[in-house]
Amino acid sequence: MATRQLAPPERRAPGTQGVRRRHRARRREAAAGWLFTAPAIVALVVFLVVPIVMAAWVSVSDWSGIGSPISGGVRTVGMANYEALLTQSGLAQQDLGLSIRDNLYYVLFVVPLQTALALALAIVVSRKALRGRGFFRTAFYFPSVTSSVAVSMIFLFLFADTGVINGALGYLGVHGPSWFSDPNGLVHMIASDAGITPPSALTSHGLLGVSWWDWLAGPSVAMVTLIVLAIWTTSGTFMLLFLPALYSISEQVEEAAIVDGAGAWTRFRRITLPLIRPALFLVLTLGLIGTWQVFDQVFLITQGNPAGTTLTPAYLAYQVSFGDQQWGQGAAIAFILFAIIVIFTVLQRLVLREHDSPTQARGRRPWSGG
Amino acid sequence: MAGRRKQPWLRAGLYLTLLIFAFLYIYPFLLELGTSFKSETDSVNNPVNPIPRNWVVSAFTTLGQQDFPRWFMNSVVVAVFVTAGRILFDSMAGYALARLRFRGRSAVFAAIIAVMAVPGVVLLIPKFLVIRTLGIYDTYPGLIIPLLADATGVFIMKQFFESIPASIEEAAKIDGAGMFRVFWSVVLPMARPALMALTILSFQGSWNDFSDILIAHENPALDTLTTGVGRLVSGQLGAATQYPLKLAAAVAMTIPVAIVFFVFQKYILRTGQGALKE
Amino acid sequence: MKYSKALLSAAAVGGMLAAVAACSSGSTGSSAAKVSKAPLTLMFGSSGPAETKAVDAAASAFTKQSGIKVKVIAASNLTQQLAQGFAAGHPPDVFYLDPGSFQNYAKDNALYPYAQTLPNAGDFYPALRAAFTYKGTFICDPKDASTLALYINTTDWRQAGLTSADIPKNWSQLAAVSKKLTTHGRVGLVLDQSHSELDEFLYQNGGTVVGSNGKVDLDSSQNVTALAFLKKMLDENILKFPPALSSGWSGQAFGENKAAMDIVGNWMVGAMQADYPKVHYQVATIPSGPTGKTATLSFTNCWGIPRSSANLGGAVKFVKFLTTPQQQMAFSKAFGVIPSLATLQGTWQSTFPNLAVHTKELTYAHPDIALPNDAQALAAFDGSLAQLATSNPATILAKAQDNLAPLASQAR
Repeated sequence: MATRQLAPPERRAPGTQGVRRRHRARRREAAAGWLFTAPAIVALVVFLVVPIVMAAWVSVSDWSGIGSPISGGVRTVGMANYEALLTQSGLAQQDLGLSIRDNLYYVLFVVPLQTALALALAIVVSRKALRGRGFFRTAFYFPSVTSSVAVSMIFLFLFADTGVINGALGYLGVHGPSWFSDPNGLVHMIASDAGITPPSALTSHGLLGVSWWDWLAGPSVAMVTLIVLAIWTTSGTFMLLFLPALYSISEQVEEAAIVDGAGAWTRFRRITLPLIRPALFLVLTLGLIGTWQVFDQVFLITQGNPAGTTLTPAYLAYQVSFGDQQWGQGAAIAFILFAIIVIFTVLQRLVLREHDSPTQARGRRPWSGG
Repeated sequence: MAGRRKQPWLRAGLYLTLLIFAFLYIYPFLLELGTSFKSETDSVNNPVNPIPRNWVVSAFTTLGQQDFPRWFMNSVVVAVFVTAGRILFDSMAGYALARLRFRGRSAVFAAIIAVMAVPGVVLLIPKFLVIRTLGIYDTYPGLIIPLLADATGVFIMKQFFESIPASIEEAAKIDGAGMFRVFWSVVLPMARPALMALTILSFQGSWNDFSDILIAHENPALDTLTTGVGRLVSGQLGAATQYPLKLAAAVAMTIPVAIVFFVFQKYILRTGQGALKE
Repeated sequence: MKYSKALLSAAAVGGMLAAVAACSSGSTGSSAAKVSKAPLTLMFGSSGPAETKAVDAAASAFTKQSGIKVKVIAASNLTQQLAQGFAAGHPPDVFYLDPGSFQNYAKDNALYPYAQTLPNAGDFYPALRAAFTYKGTFICDPKDASTLALYINTTDWRQAGLTSADIPKNWSQLAAVSKKLTTHGRVGLVLDQSHSELDEFLYQNGGTVVGSNGKVDLDSSQNVTALAFLKKMLDENILKFPPALSSGWSGQAFGENKAAMDIVGNWMVGAMQADYPKVHYQVATIPSGPTGKTATLSFTNCWGIPRSSANLGGAVKFVKFLTTPQQQMAFSKAFGVIPSLATLQGTWQSTFPNLAVHTKELTYAHPDIALPNDAQALAAFDGSLAQLATSNPATILAKAQDNLAPLASQAR
């Protein structure tokens, strides 16, 4: 999408050159394009596309995990695995419903917060005038290089009942919750504090085996710990992705803007934001995809507990496949999750694009100038 | 840059906020380090204070009974090869997708995004079957080559190339330089900041990978730190809280990647400052 | 939870009861499958260095005796690595298998049913045999056994003015002593918030979980009363689940003396030895229900052999070696498990008199739930049991019944 910011090569090519020559150049460029992408494409096809095709086949088969899924004995069961998850009421459907709800809240909290925090941190530490910026950059980035296993262990310790967080809260006179075993949703807690009792219209109907009232529960206290963990670990990574884009804003442009008398906020809106749009798009896309696939922390910390409020589709798919040996259903969950991610990514693109058009012209100016 | 013109108190406020944030990011690691030298009871009774009452190294002696040097070497081998491979392949592909015009370009890009959207956990078994079919199971190539498939890295490089001006390479192209030479001697040097980001992400990603390493081998001699420690964790560390031992394992896994990070941190810093001066 | 539990019960947390005993050679018997010299692979989930060492020693002793090489693999993630082996058509020749996964693999006819044909088939405890019987066929040899018993902190006990006459025989006594033992900062009784540690109360009240006919019968009124009893104890704060005590599992709460009593399996012994050697405790028979019915749960793993093994005869020979009385006692001494052979009861009790209770209970123990594809349903059940204090027992059981009953119909 962001390619539109670049002036097309033809326009820059001097007009004196012959059509034939341009043609040959075009062909050479196409060949180079495929040549350059070939190693990456081969690796992706062999180790991702082929497995994806196999998993897609498994999702419509009765494969039991014995022998290869493409061996003779495996039969197709049509859409039965998807039906069990989407249309037949039962445990499978309810678990899927819970996992989608839990993950949705996770995404809604983590993506905006981590992106905003990452951008803020990146802008601050990219300033030359900042003293000790090496130190700050290191501090903010360090959680990102730590393995999820190590981070999970740290968080188990931080949020234990008599752990660090509750100890610190104790100094403030606050009695902290049992973080990992409290299934109450934030919205439900606020509602009950406000004296709202669940209306029967919401409790008696629902979607995917979860009542509307429970869809509105908000992230549980236990999920909050996972949300904090995600923001804490990934904001540094995304800060790192914003930095090259911020560096690439040439100083002249910024200085020219300052000379023009633009304020800090205006400069951010008019210059920084349009110029880092590709990076922002990258961060939001990676954030969306990553948060919808959250697995490690759930596997290591909560295993979906308490009361299924930290279940996620990725963890559920693993659990159903490896734990229950229902490989078809596990793969089907993965493809339902895939569909959700695609929908969200497309939505995000549409939203960003709409935003794009008015600012785009301004965004192009610095480059077209030379 | 704005600091010079701002009120001193505003600047002080900014630094204070930054310091508080830095504290929030660093303190858990101090706790991790300190608690790994604590006794079990000390870790439960004094969680907030990172300094142990009595320094105990029992957690580390337990870890020391494992085959740590071997795991460490394997982790290094995997991380170095994967990182080098990804830097080359991802930047080539990212460049082509951002700059070169060829039929099917947008289809390839869409496919890359789609591949990223499929959750990896269900691909474990199919991926394992592919690795076996290729005959690289239980070998170093089996650990390394599958990790070279990195849609995210291609995506990152493509987005980066789109954010820098095309003018310089266009000039080189008009000079008649070959496509690969333009890429190698003009484009790559410009991409230093993004390459540094990619280096760190790749190194950390392959260093911390657990599942992909697990499905690619069964010979304990090929264990990396994650699968080696993973075996430890699945056994005696599984049930009880045992914070000192768990956090000691975490420390042991973190220190090597921390060293690499600090070495490269200087690099980013330098590159960052000189970013577009070439 | 379920798999780690299986692992624990299989192996008992890695305390060292004694040095690894020298392994003596087992008897060589005949078997239907041909024995070749092809090397074998053994995959297991280790509880720690003690178990790894003991299994390694057993394997090399077998190699010495039979000339068959054995490659021992301590799995980083047994479930995943087993699944990989089966998917590739090359599962390990011998492996640890928990009853839940057993149901799945047996259903798919992936296991070699060697146990029935071996001469010692009748020597195992009936409850353990039942756990590895599929559609009437006894398929794989139980590796070892664990049962739940009542662990009492004797120091707390004396301080509360209790004597050995006060050891609870039934529920009301259990509640009474639990109340007496509850102080500021310590609860009388701790239980893990899982069906594997709570279901015995249902059986004690005359209810069943999975009946002898293989039907799930969770939502009976007896079961509701049993859960209501536990809920009442939770309400009175004389019973707590480990998270409320900042503990990863009940044994930790007990070891750190945040709880004075714990109903838990014999894997506790290794943990106490290794992590809390200074705590004095006593193991008592589990209390009976109001009608005097005594019941507990048993846990076990078996030595699985896949049908696709290239050396079936060798694998069977290896398992025979691993289940000989001498080898089982060697494992017991190394990492504290109960031998699966009923014939070893006397020897074991005289070697570990303080743990005699656990083997005595095996005669009336019920196997923990294991149905095909039950992981999700059990996770949901455990999830709602953890919320027992704030929810309705009847609802919890009705939901679990709905989830588990359909699975039982495809079993056995």
